[in-house]
Amino acid sequence: MLKSLDPRVTRLNLPDGEVPPMEEKPELDQFETYEAFHQKKDGAAHTYVGPVHAPNEDVAFLFAKEQYSRRFPCVGLWIARTENIQVTPYGNDGENVYDMLRIEETAEQIEQPEPYEIFHLKKRGKAHTHAGRVMATSYLNALQEAKQAFGEKSPIVNVWVVKSKDVLQSAEDDKDMWTTVPEKKYREAIAYKVMDKITKYKEERKNTPAQ
Amino acid sequence: MYGGGNIFEATKFDDLQTEDPAKLAEFEARIARGEKIEPTDWMPELYRKQLIRMIEQHAHSEIIGALPEGTWITRAPGFRRKMAQMAKVQDEVGHAQLLYSAAETLGKSREQMLTDLINGKSKYSNVFNYPAFTWADSNIISWLIDAGAIVNQMANAKGSYGPYSRALERICAEEAFHLKYGHDAVVHMATGSPKQREMIQAALNRWWPPIMTFFGPSDKMSTHTETLMRWKVKMASNDECRQQFLDMYVPKIWELGLTVPDPNLKKNQETGQWEFTEPDWDEFKRVINGDGPCNAERLAVRRTAEERGAWVRRALLNPKAKYVRPLA
Ligand SMILES: [Fe+2]
Ligand SMILES: [Fe+2]
Ligand SMILES: [Fe+2]
Repeated sequence: MLKSLDPRVTRLNLPDGEVPPMEEKPELDQFETYEAFHQKKDGAAHTYVGPVHAPNEDVAFLFAKEQYSRRFPCVGLWIARTENIQVTPYGNDGENVYDMLRIEETAEQIEQPEPYEIFHLKKRGKAHTHAGRVMATSYLNALQEAKQAFGEKSPIVNVWVVKSKDVLQSAEDDKDMWTTVPEKKYREAIAYKVMDKITKYKEERKNTPAQ
Repeated sequence: MYGGGNIFEATKFDDLQTEDPAKLAEFEARIARGEKIEPTDWMPELYRKQLIRMIEQHAHSEIIGALPEGTWITRAPGFRRKMAQMAKVQDEVGHAQLLYSAAETLGKSREQMLTDLINGKSKYSNVFNYPAFTWADSNIISWLIDAGAIVNQMANAKGSYGPYSRALERICAEEAFHLKYGHDAVVHMATGSPKQREMIQAALNRWWPPIMTFFGPSDKMSTHTETLMRWKVKMASNDECRQQFLDMYVPKIWELGLTVPDPNLKKNQETGQWEFTEPDWDEFKRVINGDGPCNAERLAVRRTAEERGAWVRRALLNPKAKYVRPLA
Protein backbone atom coordinates (compact mmCIF):
# COMPACT_ATOMS: atom_id res chain seq x y z
CA MET A 1 0.00 0.00 0.00
CA LEU A 2 1.14 3.52 -0.75
CA LYS A 3 2.34 5.26 2.39
CA SER A 4 2.19 9.04 2.39
CA LEU A 5 3.20 11.84 4.75
CA ASP A 6 -0.46 12.76 4.56
CA PRO A 7 -2.50 10.25 6.57
CA ARG A 8 -5.53 10.92 4.43
CA VAL A 9 -3.63 9.76 1.36
CA THR A 10 -2.41 6.66 3.18
CA ARG A 11 -5.99 5.84 4.13
CA LEU A 12 -6.95 5.72 0.44
CA ASN A 13 -5.21 2.30 0.38
CA LEU A 14 -3.68 2.91 -3.02
CA PRO A 15 -1.46 0.24 -4.56
CA ASP A 16 2.28 0.86 -4.37
CA GLY A 17 4.74 0.13 -7.17
CA GLU A 18 4.03 -0.55 -10.82
CA VAL A 19 0.41 -0.11 -11.83
CA PRO A 20 -1.15 -0.85 -15.22
CA PRO A 21 -1.84 2.29 -17.23
CA MET A 22 -5.23 3.91 -16.85
CA GLU A 23 -7.64 3.15 -19.66
CA GLU A 24 -8.18 5.97 -22.14
CA LYS A 25 -10.98 8.18 -20.96
CA PRO A 26 -14.14 7.71 -22.99
CA GLU A 27 -15.36 10.52 -25.21
CA LEU A 28 -17.35 13.18 -23.32
CA ASP A 29 -15.99 11.96 -19.97
CA GLN A 30 -15.36 15.68 -19.40
CA PHE A 31 -18.72 16.68 -20.91
CA GLU A 32 -19.38 19.31 -23.51
CA THR A 33 -18.36 22.94 -23.17
CA TYR A 34 -20.19 26.17 -22.41
CA GLU A 35 -18.98 29.74 -22.80
CA ALA A 36 -19.34 32.20 -19.93
CA PHE A 37 -19.80 35.98 -19.95
CA HIS A 38 -19.71 38.13 -16.84
CA GLN A 39 -20.97 41.57 -16.00
CA LYS A 40 -18.58 43.52 -13.82
CA LYS A 41 -20.98 46.17 -12.62
CA ASP A 42 -24.54 47.34 -13.21
CA GLY A 43 -25.01 48.69 -16.69
CA ALA A 44 -21.72 47.30 -18.03
CA ALA A 45 -21.80 45.03 -21.07
CA HIS A 46 -21.36 41.31 -20.50
CA THR A 47 -17.83 40.26 -21.37
CA TYR A 48 -16.44 36.86 -22.31
CA VAL A 49 -14.47 35.20 -19.53
CA GLY A 50 -13.90 31.68 -20.85
CA PRO A 51 -15.27 28.18 -21.23
CA VAL A 52 -16.36 25.55 -18.71
CA HIS A 53 -17.01 21.84 -19.10
CA ALA A 54 -20.37 20.75 -17.72
CA PRO A 55 -23.15 18.20 -18.18
CA ASN A 56 -25.87 20.82 -18.56
CA GLU A 57 -26.58 24.54 -18.50
CA ASP A 58 -27.32 24.76 -14.77
CA VAL A 59 -24.13 23.00 -13.75
CA ALA A 60 -22.26 25.13 -16.27
CA PHE A 61 -23.62 28.19 -14.52
CA LEU A 62 -22.40 26.93 -11.13
CA PHE A 63 -18.96 26.03 -12.47
CA ALA A 64 -18.64 29.37 -14.25
CA LYS A 65 -19.69 31.25 -11.16
CA GLU A 66 -16.99 29.45 -9.20
CA GLN A 67 -14.34 29.67 -11.89
CA TYR A 68 -14.84 33.20 -13.17
CA SER A 69 -16.68 35.25 -10.56
CA ARG A 70 -15.24 33.90 -7.32
CA ARG A 71 -12.46 36.45 -7.03
CA PHE A 72 -13.63 39.59 -8.83
CA PRO A 73 -16.64 41.90 -8.60
CA CYS A 74 -19.55 40.52 -10.59
CA VAL A 75 -23.25 41.31 -10.82
CA GLY A 76 -24.36 39.08 -13.67
CA LEU A 77 -23.43 35.91 -15.51
CA TRP A 78 -24.51 34.49 -18.88
CA ILE A 79 -23.93 30.94 -20.11
CA ALA A 80 -24.25 29.59 -23.66
CA ARG A 81 -23.51 26.14 -25.03
CA THR A 82 -20.46 26.45 -27.28
CA GLU A 83 -22.30 24.57 -30.00
CA ASN A 84 -25.02 27.21 -30.14
CA ILE A 85 -22.67 30.09 -30.84
CA GLN A 86 -21.90 30.91 -34.45
CA VAL A 87 -18.59 32.55 -35.17
CA THR A 88 -17.45 34.72 -38.07
CA PRO A 89 -13.92 34.47 -39.45
CA TYR A 90 -11.33 36.63 -37.69
CA GLY A 91 -10.15 39.84 -39.32
CA ASN A 92 -6.83 41.57 -38.81
CA ASP A 93 -6.50 44.07 -35.99
CA GLY A 94 -7.92 47.39 -37.09
CA GLU A 95 -10.31 45.84 -39.61
CA ASN A 96 -14.06 45.61 -39.44
CA VAL A 97 -15.08 42.04 -40.09
CA TYR A 98 -18.60 43.08 -41.13
CA ASP A 99 -17.07 44.79 -44.17
CA MET A 100 -15.33 41.60 -45.22
CA LEU A 101 -18.31 39.31 -44.88
CA ARG A 102 -20.48 38.60 -47.84
CA ILE A 103 -23.78 38.40 -46.09
CA GLU A 104 -26.22 37.36 -48.76
CA GLU A 105 -29.81 38.46 -48.60
CA THR A 106 -31.97 35.61 -47.51
CA ALA A 107 -34.63 35.04 -50.12
CA GLU A 108 -37.83 34.98 -48.16
CA GLN A 109 -38.44 35.57 -44.52
CA ILE A 110 -40.99 32.99 -43.66
CA GLU A 111 -40.02 32.50 -40.09
CA GLN A 112 -40.96 34.65 -37.15
CA PRO A 113 -38.08 36.84 -36.01
CA GLU A 114 -36.63 35.99 -32.62
CA PRO A 115 -33.98 37.71 -30.48
CA TYR A 116 -30.26 37.03 -30.95
CA GLU A 117 -27.34 38.26 -28.83
CA ILE A 118 -24.34 39.76 -30.62
CA PHE A 119 -20.79 39.82 -29.24
CA HIS A 120 -17.89 41.79 -30.72
CA LEU A 121 -14.16 41.32 -30.38
CA LYS A 122 -12.45 44.67 -30.86
CA LYS A 123 -8.87 43.49 -30.87
CA ARG A 124 -7.25 40.07 -31.07
CA GLY A 125 -6.25 38.73 -27.66
CA LYS A 126 -8.95 40.75 -25.90
CA ALA A 127 -12.37 39.43 -24.85
CA HIS A 128 -15.65 39.40 -26.78
CA THR A 129 -18.11 41.95 -25.41
CA HIS A 130 -21.88 42.09 -25.73
CA ALA A 131 -22.81 44.61 -28.43
CA GLY A 132 -26.55 44.18 -28.14
CA ARG A 133 -29.61 42.25 -29.19
CA VAL A 134 -31.24 42.04 -32.61
CA MET A 135 -34.44 40.47 -33.89
CA ALA A 136 -33.78 38.09 -36.76
CA THR A 137 -35.03 34.98 -38.53
CA SER A 138 -31.66 33.17 -38.73
CA TYR A 139 -28.05 33.47 -37.63
CA LEU A 140 -27.16 35.02 -40.96
CA ASN A 141 -30.03 37.42 -40.76
CA ALA A 142 -28.93 38.29 -37.23
CA LEU A 143 -25.52 39.17 -38.59
CA GLN A 144 -27.10 41.45 -41.18
CA GLU A 145 -29.20 43.14 -38.54
CA ALA A 146 -26.17 43.46 -36.28
CA LYS A 147 -24.15 45.04 -39.06
CA GLN A 148 -26.79 47.74 -39.39
CA ALA A 149 -27.37 48.16 -35.69
CA PHE A 150 -23.80 48.14 -34.37
CA GLY A 151 -21.49 47.37 -37.28
CA GLU A 152 -20.30 50.88 -37.96
CA LYS A 153 -18.14 51.26 -34.93
CA SER A 154 -14.98 49.76 -36.31
CA PRO A 155 -12.70 48.01 -35.68
CA ILE A 156 -14.38 44.68 -35.00
CA VAL A 157 -12.22 41.65 -35.67
CA ASN A 158 -14.71 38.90 -34.81
CA VAL A 159 -18.43 38.45 -34.12
CA TRP A 160 -20.29 35.80 -32.14
CA VAL A 161 -24.01 35.26 -32.67
CA VAL A 162 -26.26 33.25 -30.38
CA LYS A 163 -30.02 32.96 -29.97
CA SER A 164 -31.18 34.70 -26.81
CA LYS A 165 -33.18 31.63 -25.85
CA ASP A 166 -29.92 29.66 -25.81
CA VAL A 167 -28.35 31.98 -23.25
CA LEU A 168 -28.92 31.25 -19.58
CA GLN A 169 -28.91 34.65 -17.91
CA SER A 170 -28.75 35.31 -14.20
CA ALA A 171 -31.68 37.35 -12.97
CA GLU A 172 -31.68 40.65 -11.11
CA ASP A 173 -32.73 38.72 -7.97
CA ASP A 174 -29.70 36.47 -8.24
CA LYS A 175 -27.25 39.32 -7.70
CA ASP A 176 -26.95 38.66 -3.99
CA MET A 177 -24.98 35.48 -4.75
CA TRP A 178 -21.96 37.73 -5.26
CA THR A 179 -22.36 39.97 -2.24
CA THR A 180 -19.87 38.11 -0.02
CA VAL A 181 -17.03 38.37 -2.53
CA PRO A 182 -15.54 41.60 -1.11
CA GLU A 183 -15.67 40.26 2.46
CA LYS A 184 -13.10 37.55 1.81
CA LYS A 185 -10.10 39.78 2.40
CA TYR A 186 -7.79 36.87 3.22
CA ARG A 187 -7.51 36.14 -0.51
CA GLU A 188 -6.42 39.65 -1.44
CA ALA A 189 -2.76 40.59 -1.64
CA ILE A 190 -3.53 43.84 0.15
CA ALA A 191 -4.57 41.98 3.31
CA TYR A 192 -0.96 40.95 3.93
CA LYS A 193 1.09 43.72 5.52
CA VAL A 194 4.41 42.02 4.95
CA MET A 195 6.54 45.15 4.79
CA ASP A 196 5.39 46.25 8.24
CA LYS A 197 6.49 42.95 9.72
CA ILE A 198 9.86 43.07 8.00
CA THR A 199 10.52 46.66 9.09
CA LYS A 200 9.62 45.80 12.67
CA TYR A 201 11.89 42.78 12.58
CA LYS A 202 14.81 44.81 11.22
CA GLU A 203 14.27 47.49 13.88
CA GLU A 204 14.32 44.90 16.64
CA ARG A 205 17.40 43.27 15.26
CA LYS A 206 19.23 46.60 15.12
CA ASN A 207 18.49 47.14 18.80
CA THR A 208 19.63 43.74 20.00
CA PRO A 209 23.33 42.88 19.78
CA ALA A 210 24.11 40.05 17.35
CA GLN A 211 23.55 36.64 18.85
CA MET B 1 2.46 27.03 -10.55
CA TYR B 2 4.65 26.16 -13.38
CA GLY B 3 8.14 25.16 -14.32
CA GLY B 4 9.47 26.24 -17.68
CA GLY B 5 7.39 24.62 -20.37
CA ASN B 6 10.44 23.96 -22.47
CA ILE B 7 12.50 21.90 -20.10
CA PHE B 8 11.58 18.60 -21.62
CA GLU B 9 12.91 17.31 -24.88
CA ALA B 10 11.44 19.44 -27.62
CA THR B 11 8.94 18.38 -30.21
CA LYS B 12 10.72 17.00 -33.24
CA PHE B 13 11.64 19.95 -35.35
CA ASP B 14 9.09 19.80 -38.10
CA ASP B 15 10.46 20.93 -41.35
CA LEU B 16 8.92 24.31 -42.03
CA GLN B 17 9.46 23.55 -45.73
CA THR B 18 6.31 21.46 -45.61
CA GLU B 19 4.25 24.49 -44.61
CA ASP B 20 2.49 26.64 -47.19
CA PRO B 21 4.94 29.55 -47.69
CA ALA B 22 2.25 32.19 -48.29
CA LYS B 23 0.32 31.22 -45.18
CA LEU B 24 3.49 30.97 -43.14
CA ALA B 25 4.53 34.46 -44.25
CA GLU B 26 1.12 35.85 -43.33
CA PHE B 27 1.26 34.14 -39.93
CA GLU B 28 4.74 35.47 -39.21
CA ALA B 29 3.78 38.96 -40.34
CA ARG B 30 0.83 38.95 -37.96
CA ILE B 31 3.08 38.08 -35.03
CA ALA B 32 5.66 40.63 -36.12
CA ARG B 33 2.92 43.29 -36.11
CA GLY B 34 2.23 42.37 -32.49
CA GLU B 35 -1.17 40.81 -33.23
CA LYS B 36 -2.40 37.75 -31.37
CA ILE B 37 -3.15 34.45 -33.02
CA GLU B 38 -6.68 33.17 -32.42
CA PRO B 39 -7.81 29.51 -32.50
CA THR B 40 -9.27 29.41 -36.02
CA ASP B 41 -6.26 31.12 -37.65
CA TRP B 42 -3.95 29.10 -39.82
CA MET B 43 -0.83 28.14 -37.85
CA PRO B 44 2.25 26.00 -38.52
CA GLU B 45 2.13 22.49 -37.03
CA LEU B 46 5.21 23.23 -34.95
CA TYR B 47 3.49 26.24 -33.37
CA ARG B 48 0.40 24.20 -32.55
CA LYS B 49 2.31 21.24 -31.14
CA GLN B 50 4.69 23.29 -29.05
CA LEU B 51 1.89 25.38 -27.57
CA ILE B 52 -0.24 22.34 -26.74
CA ARG B 53 2.71 20.79 -24.98
CA MET B 54 3.57 23.98 -23.07
CA ILE B 55 0.04 24.87 -22.02
CA GLU B 56 -0.79 21.29 -21.16
CA GLN B 57 2.30 20.94 -18.96
CA HIS B 58 1.45 24.23 -17.35
CA ALA B 59 -2.08 22.95 -16.60
CA HIS B 60 -0.75 19.70 -15.15
CA SER B 61 1.65 21.67 -12.95
CA GLU B 62 -1.22 23.69 -11.51
CA ILE B 63 -3.34 20.68 -10.68
CA ILE B 64 -0.48 18.55 -9.30
CA GLY B 65 0.99 21.61 -7.57
CA ALA B 66 -2.25 21.91 -5.62
CA LEU B 67 -1.48 18.59 -3.90
CA PRO B 68 1.51 19.41 -1.63
CA GLU B 69 -0.21 22.58 -0.40
CA GLY B 70 -3.66 21.02 -0.31
CA THR B 71 -2.33 18.45 2.09
CA TRP B 72 -1.70 21.23 4.63
CA ILE B 73 -5.17 22.80 4.63
CA THR B 74 -6.48 20.73 7.53
CA ARG B 75 -3.28 21.23 9.50
CA ALA B 76 -2.71 24.92 8.78
CA PRO B 77 -2.31 26.73 12.10
CA GLY B 78 -5.49 28.68 12.75
CA PHE B 79 -8.77 29.30 11.00
CA ARG B 80 -7.65 32.27 8.93
CA ARG B 81 -4.69 30.39 7.53
CA LYS B 82 -6.92 27.43 6.68
CA MET B 83 -9.24 29.75 4.77
CA ALA B 84 -6.38 31.43 2.95
CA GLN B 85 -4.61 28.16 2.13
CA MET B 86 -7.87 26.76 0.83
CA ALA B 87 -8.46 29.83 -1.33
CA LYS B 88 -4.97 29.53 -2.78
CA VAL B 89 -5.33 25.84 -3.54
CA GLN B 90 -8.71 26.49 -5.16
CA ASP B 91 -7.08 29.18 -7.30
CA GLU B 92 -4.45 26.71 -8.48
CA VAL B 93 -7.06 24.17 -9.51
CA GLY B 94 -8.91 26.97 -11.27
CA HIS B 95 -5.68 27.82 -13.11
CA ALA B 96 -5.52 24.23 -14.34
CA GLN B 97 -9.06 24.51 -15.70
CA LEU B 98 -8.27 27.75 -17.52
CA LEU B 99 -5.15 26.28 -19.04
CA TYR B 100 -6.70 22.97 -20.07
CA SER B 101 -9.31 25.00 -21.95
CA ALA B 102 -6.66 27.13 -23.65
CA ALA B 103 -4.83 23.97 -24.78
CA GLU B 104 -8.12 22.48 -25.92
CA THR B 105 -8.69 25.33 -28.38
CA LEU B 106 -5.61 23.97 -30.20
CA GLY B 107 -7.21 20.58 -30.68
CA LYS B 108 -6.22 18.26 -27.82
CA SER B 109 -9.16 17.07 -25.75
CA ARG B 110 -9.20 17.40 -21.98
CA GLU B 111 -9.86 13.64 -21.75
CA GLN B 112 -6.61 12.99 -23.62
CA MET B 113 -4.61 15.46 -21.52
CA LEU B 114 -5.81 13.91 -18.27
CA THR B 115 -5.09 10.41 -19.54
CA ASP B 116 -1.60 11.46 -20.62
CA LEU B 117 -0.90 13.05 -17.24
CA ILE B 118 -1.96 9.98 -15.30
CA ASN B 119 -0.12 7.56 -17.54
CA GLY B 120 3.07 9.61 -17.31
CA LYS B 121 3.04 10.55 -20.99
CA SER B 122 3.06 14.27 -20.31
CA LYS B 123 4.99 15.97 -17.56
CA TYR B 124 4.40 18.57 -14.92
CA SER B 125 6.79 20.79 -13.00
CA ASN B 126 9.36 18.53 -11.40
CA VAL B 127 9.42 20.38 -8.07
CA PHE B 128 6.09 18.80 -7.13
CA ASN B 129 7.69 15.40 -7.02
CA TYR B 130 9.21 16.48 -3.70
CA PRO B 131 7.31 16.27 -0.41
CA ALA B 132 6.11 19.08 1.85
CA PHE B 133 7.29 17.68 5.19
CA THR B 134 6.10 20.50 7.40
CA TRP B 135 3.89 23.59 7.36
CA ALA B 136 7.08 25.54 6.67
CA ASP B 137 7.61 23.56 3.44
CA SER B 138 4.14 24.57 2.38
CA ASN B 139 5.04 28.22 3.09
CA ILE B 140 8.20 27.99 1.00
CA ILE B 141 6.15 26.56 -1.88
CA SER B 142 3.54 29.31 -1.55
CA TRP B 143 6.19 31.97 -1.66
CA LEU B 144 9.12 30.84 -3.79
CA ILE B 145 7.60 28.28 -6.14
CA ASP B 146 4.81 30.70 -6.90
CA ALA B 147 7.38 33.46 -7.32
CA GLY B 148 9.16 31.33 -9.93
CA ALA B 149 5.84 30.56 -11.59
CA ILE B 150 5.03 34.26 -11.77
CA VAL B 151 8.32 35.06 -13.50
CA ASN B 152 7.34 32.50 -16.13
CA GLN B 153 3.72 33.47 -16.40
CA MET B 154 4.36 37.18 -16.73
CA ALA B 155 6.71 36.46 -19.63
CA ASN B 156 4.32 34.03 -21.31
CA ALA B 157 1.33 36.37 -20.95
CA LYS B 158 3.00 38.50 -23.62
CA GLY B 159 3.14 35.52 -25.98
CA SER B 160 1.34 35.37 -29.30
CA TYR B 161 -1.48 32.90 -28.65
CA GLY B 162 -4.70 34.70 -27.67
CA PRO B 163 -6.38 32.08 -25.47
CA TYR B 164 -3.16 31.41 -23.49
CA SER B 165 -2.59 35.14 -22.94
CA ARG B 166 -6.16 35.64 -21.77
CA ALA B 167 -5.87 32.73 -19.33
CA LEU B 168 -2.53 34.02 -18.03
CA GLU B 169 -3.91 37.48 -17.42
CA ARG B 170 -6.52 36.05 -15.06
CA ILE B 171 -3.93 33.78 -13.49
CA CYS B 172 -1.41 36.56 -12.86
CA ALA B 173 -4.06 38.64 -11.13
CA GLU B 174 -4.65 35.81 -8.64
CA GLU B 175 -0.97 35.09 -8.23
CA ALA B 176 -0.48 38.49 -6.64
CA PHE B 177 -2.34 37.13 -3.63
CA HIS B 178 -0.37 33.86 -3.61
CA LEU B 179 2.92 35.70 -3.57
CA LYS B 180 1.95 38.03 -0.73
CA TYR B 181 0.33 35.22 1.21
CA GLY B 182 3.43 33.05 0.85
CA HIS B 183 5.81 35.86 1.69
CA ASP B 184 3.77 36.78 4.76
CA ALA B 185 3.76 33.16 5.95
CA VAL B 186 7.54 32.88 5.57
CA VAL B 187 8.14 36.23 7.28
CA HIS B 188 5.90 35.14 10.14
CA MET B 189 8.03 32.04 10.70
CA ALA B 190 11.36 33.77 10.14
CA THR B 191 10.57 36.53 12.63
CA GLY B 192 9.01 34.17 15.16
CA SER B 193 10.45 31.90 17.85
CA PRO B 194 13.83 30.19 17.41
CA LYS B 195 11.95 26.96 16.68
CA GLN B 196 9.93 28.63 13.92
CA ARG B 197 13.08 30.12 12.41
CA GLU B 198 14.73 26.74 12.48
CA MET B 199 11.73 25.18 10.74
CA ILE B 200 11.61 27.72 7.95
CA GLN B 201 15.37 27.54 7.41
CA ALA B 202 15.17 23.74 7.21
CA ALA B 203 12.35 23.95 4.68
CA LEU B 204 14.28 26.48 2.61
CA ASN B 205 17.31 24.18 2.67
CA ARG B 206 15.18 21.28 1.41
CA TRP B 207 13.52 23.32 -1.34
CA TRP B 208 16.47 25.29 -2.64
CA PRO B 209 17.89 22.57 -4.92
CA PRO B 210 14.53 21.87 -6.62
CA ILE B 211 13.91 25.63 -6.91
CA MET B 212 17.20 26.06 -8.75
CA THR B 213 16.04 23.52 -11.33
CA PHE B 214 12.59 25.08 -11.62
CA PHE B 215 13.31 26.96 -14.84
CA GLY B 216 15.06 24.01 -16.45
CA PRO B 217 18.63 23.65 -17.74
CA SER B 218 20.23 26.30 -19.94
CA ASP B 219 18.59 26.33 -23.34
CA LYS B 220 20.50 24.90 -26.21
CA MET B 221 20.29 27.70 -28.71
CA SER B 222 19.11 26.04 -31.88
CA THR B 223 17.16 27.17 -34.93
CA HIS B 224 14.25 25.48 -33.24
CA THR B 225 14.51 27.76 -30.20
CA GLU B 226 15.00 30.80 -32.41
CA THR B 227 11.88 29.96 -34.37
CA LEU B 228 9.83 29.58 -31.19
CA MET B 229 11.12 32.89 -29.91
CA ARG B 230 10.31 34.63 -33.18
CA TRP B 231 6.78 33.20 -32.97
CA LYS B 232 6.47 34.43 -29.39
CA VAL B 233 5.91 30.95 -28.00
CA LYS B 234 9.05 31.00 -25.90
CA MET B 235 9.33 34.45 -24.37
CA ALA B 236 12.49 34.24 -22.31
CA SER B 237 15.34 31.78 -21.95
CA ASN B 238 15.46 29.50 -18.92
CA ASP B 239 18.61 31.27 -17.73
CA GLU B 240 17.02 34.69 -18.05
CA CYS B 241 14.09 33.53 -15.92
CA ARG B 242 16.41 32.03 -13.31
CA GLN B 243 18.50 35.20 -13.12
CA GLN B 244 15.40 37.35 -12.78
CA PHE B 245 14.10 35.11 -10.00
CA LEU B 246 17.39 35.27 -8.10
CA ASP B 247 17.54 39.03 -8.53
CA MET B 248 14.12 39.50 -7.07
CA TYR B 249 14.09 36.94 -4.27
CA VAL B 250 17.57 36.26 -2.92
CA PRO B 251 17.71 39.74 -1.32
CA LYS B 252 14.28 39.12 0.19
CA ILE B 253 15.50 35.85 1.71
CA TRP B 254 18.67 37.44 3.05
CA GLU B 255 16.90 40.39 4.64
CA LEU B 256 15.11 37.92 6.92
CA GLY B 257 18.45 36.68 8.17
CA LEU B 258 17.88 33.35 6.44
CA THR B 259 20.64 31.69 4.50
CA VAL B 260 20.62 30.06 1.10
CA PRO B 261 22.25 26.63 1.18
CA ASP B 262 24.70 27.34 -1.61
CA PRO B 263 28.11 28.71 -0.60
CA ASN B 264 28.77 29.75 -4.20
CA LEU B 265 25.69 31.89 -4.56
CA LYS B 266 26.64 35.50 -5.20
CA LYS B 267 25.98 38.25 -7.63
CA ASN B 268 28.93 39.04 -9.82
CA GLN B 269 29.04 42.83 -9.69
CA GLU B 270 30.87 43.10 -12.99
CA THR B 271 28.61 40.92 -15.11
CA GLY B 272 25.48 41.62 -13.08
CA GLN B 273 24.81 37.87 -13.20
CA TRP B 274 24.22 35.54 -10.30
CA GLU B 275 26.74 32.77 -9.85
CA PHE B 276 25.75 29.54 -8.17
CA THR B 277 26.57 25.87 -7.86
CA GLU B 278 25.31 24.08 -10.94
CA PRO B 279 22.14 22.20 -9.98
CA ASP B 280 22.24 18.41 -10.07
CA TRP B 281 20.75 17.84 -13.52
CA ASP B 282 21.22 14.09 -13.26
CA GLU B 283 18.93 13.98 -10.28
CA PHE B 284 16.55 16.28 -12.13
CA LYS B 285 16.40 13.88 -15.06
CA ARG B 286 16.03 10.87 -12.82
CA VAL B 287 13.16 12.46 -10.88
CA ILE B 288 11.33 13.84 -13.88
CA ASN B 289 11.44 10.41 -15.46
CA GLY B 290 9.56 8.93 -12.55
CA ASP B 291 12.07 8.14 -9.85
CA GLY B 292 11.38 10.91 -7.35
CA PRO B 293 10.10 10.73 -3.78
CA CYS B 294 6.49 11.65 -4.67
CA ASN B 295 5.93 10.87 -8.36
CA ALA B 296 3.95 7.71 -7.69
CA GLU B 297 1.86 9.30 -4.97
CA ARG B 298 1.00 12.41 -7.00
CA LEU B 299 -0.22 10.40 -9.97
CA ALA B 300 -1.99 7.81 -7.81
CA VAL B 301 -3.93 10.54 -6.01
CA ARG B 302 -4.91 12.17 -9.28
CA ARG B 303 -5.85 8.85 -10.81
CA THR B 304 -8.00 7.90 -7.83
CA ALA B 305 -9.91 11.15 -8.08
CA GLU B 306 -10.53 10.53 -11.78
CA GLU B 307 -11.53 6.89 -11.32
CA ARG B 308 -13.73 7.34 -8.30
CA GLY B 309 -15.56 10.25 -9.90
CA ALA B 310 -16.13 8.48 -13.22
CA TRP B 311 -19.53 7.02 -12.34
CA VAL B 312 -20.85 10.41 -11.28
CA ARG B 313 -19.78 11.94 -14.57
CA ARG B 314 -21.32 9.04 -16.49
CA ALA B 315 -24.59 9.41 -14.59
CA LEU B 316 -24.72 13.14 -15.34
CA LEU B 317 -23.87 12.83 -19.01
CA ASN B 318 -26.59 14.02 -21.33
CA PRO B 319 -26.95 11.37 -24.09
CA LYS B 320 -27.44 14.16 -26.62
CA ALA B 321 -24.25 15.94 -25.65
CA LYS B 322 -21.96 16.76 -28.53
CA TYR B 323 -18.40 17.91 -28.13
CA VAL B 324 -17.27 21.12 -29.79
CA ARG B 325 -13.97 22.85 -29.05
CA PRO B 326 -14.23 25.85 -26.77
CA LEU B 327 -14.22 29.08 -28.76
CA ALA B 328 -11.41 31.17 -27.34
FE1 LIG C 1 1.42 27.99 -7.68
FE1 LIG D 1 -1.16 28.93 -10.29
FE1 LIG E 1 -0.12 30.33 -7.44
